[in-house]
Amino acid sequence: MSNSLIKIAVPVIGLVAALVLAFVAYFFVLAWWSQPPAVLGFGDGPTQPIAFPHTVHVTTAGLDCQFCHRIASTEEAAGVPAVAQCQFCHDFTRITGEESDSPTAETEIAKLIGDPLEGPDPINWVRVHRLPDHVQFVHAPHIQQGFSCSTCHGDIASMEVVEQVRNLKMRDCVDCHRDNEAPTDCTTCHY
Amino acid sequence: MATRTQSTRADHKWGMVIDLDRCTGCQACVIACQSENNIPLNDQSAFLDGRAIEWIRVERYWEGDYPDIKARFLPVLCQHCDNAPCESVCPVYATYHNNEGLNVQVYNRCVGTRFCGNNCPYHARLFNYWEPVWPEDLRNQLNPDVTVRTRGIMEKCTFCIQRIRRSTRGGKQVEDQAFNPACVQACPTDAMTFGDLNNPDSRVSQKWEDERAFRVLEALGTNPSVKYLKQVDAHA
Amino acid sequence: MALTRRQFLKWAGVTGIGAVVFNGCRVPDHEIQVQSPVEMPEDLVTGRDNYYATTAQIGAASEGLLVRVMEGRAKKIEGNPDHPVNTGKHGIRAEALLQALYHPDRIKHPLLRIAKGGPYRRIDWAEGIQRLTAIISDRPSSEVLLATPLLRGRVADVVQAFADGSGIRLQGFDALGCESVTREALRQLYGQNAQPDFDIAHASYILNFGADFLGTWINPTHFSRGYGEFRQGDGRSRGRLVHIGARYSTTAAAADHWVYATPGSEGLLAMSIAYTMIDEGTADSDAASALTGGAGARALQAFAPERVAAQVGVDAHVITELAHELADKKHRPALVMGGGPAAAQVNGLFNMMAVYALNALVGSVNRPGGLVFNPEPISGRVSSSSLREWKQTLADMRSGDITAVLVREADLAYGLPGALDARAALRSVDTIVSFSSFLDETSELADLILPCHTPLEEWGTDEPNPGPGYTTIGFQQPAVNRFHNTPGYGTLSFGDVLLQTGSQLGLPDMPWENMREAVRALAQDLHAQGRGSVVQPTFAEFWKRTLERGGWWDTGATADGSRPDLPALPTSAPADSSADPNRYPLHLVPFEGIGVGAGQYSHLPWAQSAPDPITSAAWDTWVELNPHTADEMGLKNNDVVIVESATGRTIRASVYINPATPPAVAAVPMGQGHRAFTSYAARRGANVLDILEPAEDAETGAFAWGATRVRISGTTRTKVVPKLEGIEPARQLHGEELIFVHKA
Repeated sequence: MSNSLIKIAVPVIGLVAALVLAFVAYFFVLAWWSQPPAVLGFGDGPTQPIAFPHTVHVTTAGLDCQFCHRIASTEEAAGVPAVAQCQFCHDFTRITGEESDSPTAETEIAKLIGDPLEGPDPINWVRVHRLPDHVQFVHAPHIQQGFSCSTCHGDIASMEVVEQVRNLKMRDCVDCHRDNEAPTDCTTCHY
Repeated sequence: MATRTQSTRADHKWGMVIDLDRCTGCQACVIACQSENNIPLNDQSAFLDGRAIEWIRVERYWEGDYPDIKARFLPVLCQHCDNAPCESVCPVYATYHNNEGLNVQVYNRCVGTRFCGNNCPYHARLFNYWEPVWPEDLRNQLNPDVTVRTRGIMEKCTFCIQRIRRSTRGGKQVEDQAFNPACVQACPTDAMTFGDLNNPDSRVSQKWEDERAFRVLEALGTNPSVKYLKQVDAHA
Repeated sequence: MALTRRQFLKWAGVTGIGAVVFNGCRVPDHEIQVQSPVEMPEDLVTGRDNYYATTAQIGAASEGLLVRVMEGRAKKIEGNPDHPVNTGKHGIRAEALLQALYHPDRIKHPLLRIAKGGPYRRIDWAEGIQRLTAIISDRPSSEVLLATPLLRGRVADVVQAFADGSGIRLQGFDALGCESVTREALRQLYGQNAQPDFDIAHASYILNFGADFLGTWINPTHFSRGYGEFRQGDGRSRGRLVHIGARYSTTAAAADHWVYATPGSEGLLAMSIAYTMIDEGTADSDAASALTGGAGARALQAFAPERVAAQVGVDAHVITELAHELADKKHRPALVMGGGPAAAQVNGLFNMMAVYALNALVGSVNRPGGLVFNPEPISGRVSSSSLREWKQTLADMRSGDITAVLVREADLAYGLPGALDARAALRSVDTIVSFSSFLDETSELADLILPCHTPLEEWGTDEPNPGPGYTTIGFQQPAVNRFHNTPGYGTLSFGDVLLQTGSQLGLPDMPWENMREAVRALAQDLHAQGRGSVVQPTFAEFWKRTLERGGWWDTGATADGSRPDLPALPTSAPADSSADPNRYPLHLVPFEGIGVGAGQYSHLPWAQSAPDPITSAAWDTWVELNPHTADEMGLKNNDVVIVESATGRTIRASVYINPATPPAVAAVPMGQGHRAFTSYAARRGANVLDILEPAEDAETGAFAWGATRVRISGTTRTKVVPKLEGIEPARQLHGEELIFVHKA
């Protein structure tokens, strides 16, 4: 191998290595200190099996969050409504999407009906707000203490596609717990 | 005896009394615990390697020789000591005593030095030597309220803290015997009693003062939150 | 630069840099989904847990259960506090029903084998039921055998209706005959068809012959409920328990006094106690007179303590003491129970007659703290056929009188003694249909497998046997939808399969369309009676409340007090076991595993991993030997030995030196040695049932599984017994004299 090649190769390899290191460092810094990097897909809301518009349901129809997420004030999970509940309302109000301006409304609402004999399949919603396995988050006490859903979830009412707006890292949780004199014992969330 | 306690979370001191005169060693507590707490399946090699994980286990002691021989059973779980030897040796503060009298293991802090396990005179702390594996179908049974522990960390009995949290959440008042850890709930002879030692009317407080009550390795001064009631020896 | 996830992936793929980073952070799919792809009941709101009351027949036991269900998945089993039999508690096997439901090796759809021994092919249920119908209608109905385990409640009614309607043979199978001898003794003595309950909670004194009622016998959870009170119940003094048995079992460990009696001599001992009591005038005089045919103690002279002491292996003065204790007026009420290995002898019925007759002598018959009679069940029962009947059945298979065998979780190929070679007999029939959800030994031989539900998925009822002294019907409802649910495939309820097949065959008297209707029909009867734990004006309300509570019971519906006169006891003992004690010096005492039983639950990892309370061993087979016996044979812990019975059959297992094992005994746990039955059971340990002599109780023909003698020879191999004991090295505490550590 000629000297000139080495002369070129060394800085190139060095540069690539530096870039890789910089990328890894960037990733860890972001992962640790702020929101997960947008490149991993945490930034924009995922595509859901039904293009469910919170805008229409909250803003136009004026529904309260707990009208559908009805166990948020009593249980761990906020609760995703059963398909039957979706169907019930749509049957009751006779909203089939025909009357909507949106071109997709009718096809999306039709997904609720499913097989006429077997009934609707459960909808495999894609999780937007996901905490690590070792965190046991419970909605109930937060709602009972009078926090609004938007404190953590942001202005869902204006989101066409739901996305995560708050980083929901441990520091975020603990800061808020301290500010509100909520327990900060580790086993409040970790068990 | 259902008495209401006017208490908030920090007012609790959870404790347990195990009546050895009622205990038959039947293992119902052991399996109920494994089901509730997502304990990895103890396969044959776990026993052979000495690495079976049982948050509560039934120890058997022999006394005497055949034919005047007696097996005694001692269900051993984390004793939730007030002076816990495990807590002071953890370099990362992953185990500590909380204000409800619980000895707590924080999985996400644990780095697996195993100092705590080595220092526990009751051998109540168990180390995950392997990533826990369940066949895909069996995963459906896992309890969503309990973290699945990964390889390389210590775990132990929590007094079913997920049930404590659920019942006392937000400073909820809780009646004595309104909930129980999985082992106590299963025990077919009612040998185990769990409750709040700060509530003088609770069943566990009353048994706490029983004349048969003793603590295991009391001389070590660990001051456990678990007491045992001595088995009564009738003449043979 | 605004980068979308897709662009990033592309870029990462091209450069090859990001792939590693990205892979490391990948979140598993199941965590991204909000709910698992399961067909959920529509009343269920995602994110909240529900509790469903149900019941499960677990072999001879019955437990009322609450199942915690979240997002359509069963998470935890708890005892139903309302159910009178287990009042909120449950045992290992109930907990392990979850693992049966979610077992990785479940059969997921009907299977058909074209050629004997060939591979299975997946078929749908329509074809499966059609083929089953053809199998039954193609041959004379007497050539078809339906073998089930013990069945109670509505499914027993359906099975019985199916067998009656089609004329096929029906036989119940339980490897241990499930206390049919005990029941026969109670029938002959007290005229009871339903197993009486044992009021352990209120007894002051219990004399128990052989039955491990706190560990494995009939319904340990139920008996343990009483035992806790017996020991330390409020407002009563501590009871005294004496256990007579050949192995130091859970019950022996709980006892205040354990006495070893030679296996098979339990009846002699009981007779000797009876003789002493009658002779000394401490027995109830009416009962004494009836049991001796009016002759008094004279009739039982042959059983005087000093005459039987040698044969029983218990000193005469100990027998007299036991009689004095039992007769002691301080020990009232006293309860005498027995079963298990004491009943599984060639003189089993004699033993049990003698044992249970003692209850009459102490006035404990149908009294609190004694035997409490149960009313006749409302539903039918399929009870276990005797070994004598099974021998005949196997002969019929060989001779071609049975050409089709339908089998539901009755593992004949595993559970019958090896000397009978049930496997070969099954091979000789034309066709075998299995309704098992798991590929056990018998199902492996099947040509058609129609996998049926596990208990948490189906409708039914269960009337516990023994009940709590009054009519009790547990209601079984599906706590979750069927797990394997591909339309047309998956699993179905056993009762539903029979009902559908019955309608295809055009059977008369199959009044219900499916199991749910069968259960509802029973509920309608109960509702119409307007009594018991649930009384409601409308049936709809009654149905809802009954399912919520997990059943219906009526504390007023007790057994009627009338009973026939006591029969006279035999005046001489029948012959004992036959094998030559010189060639086969040790009594083989097989015992049920605390979790795995006699092998029916070996496929469930929790049942396997529950350590035996006495030895702390799990997952394997071991041979318990007395330290001196082992010493004489030069055997140490973990030495592999060969255990050989007079049948010439052998098993190999490791030695566990148990200081409480009597010198003349080799105790071996049952439940292992499966050839198949899922990866958790197969090729593990040895099957002790295989070497048992196919001996029968002389009178009932029941399997005398406790009557085998063996000899043991060493090998050069060692194999460590998997056990909990010794996992943590014991350390001697300095200055503490309380605990002594012995080096193994």
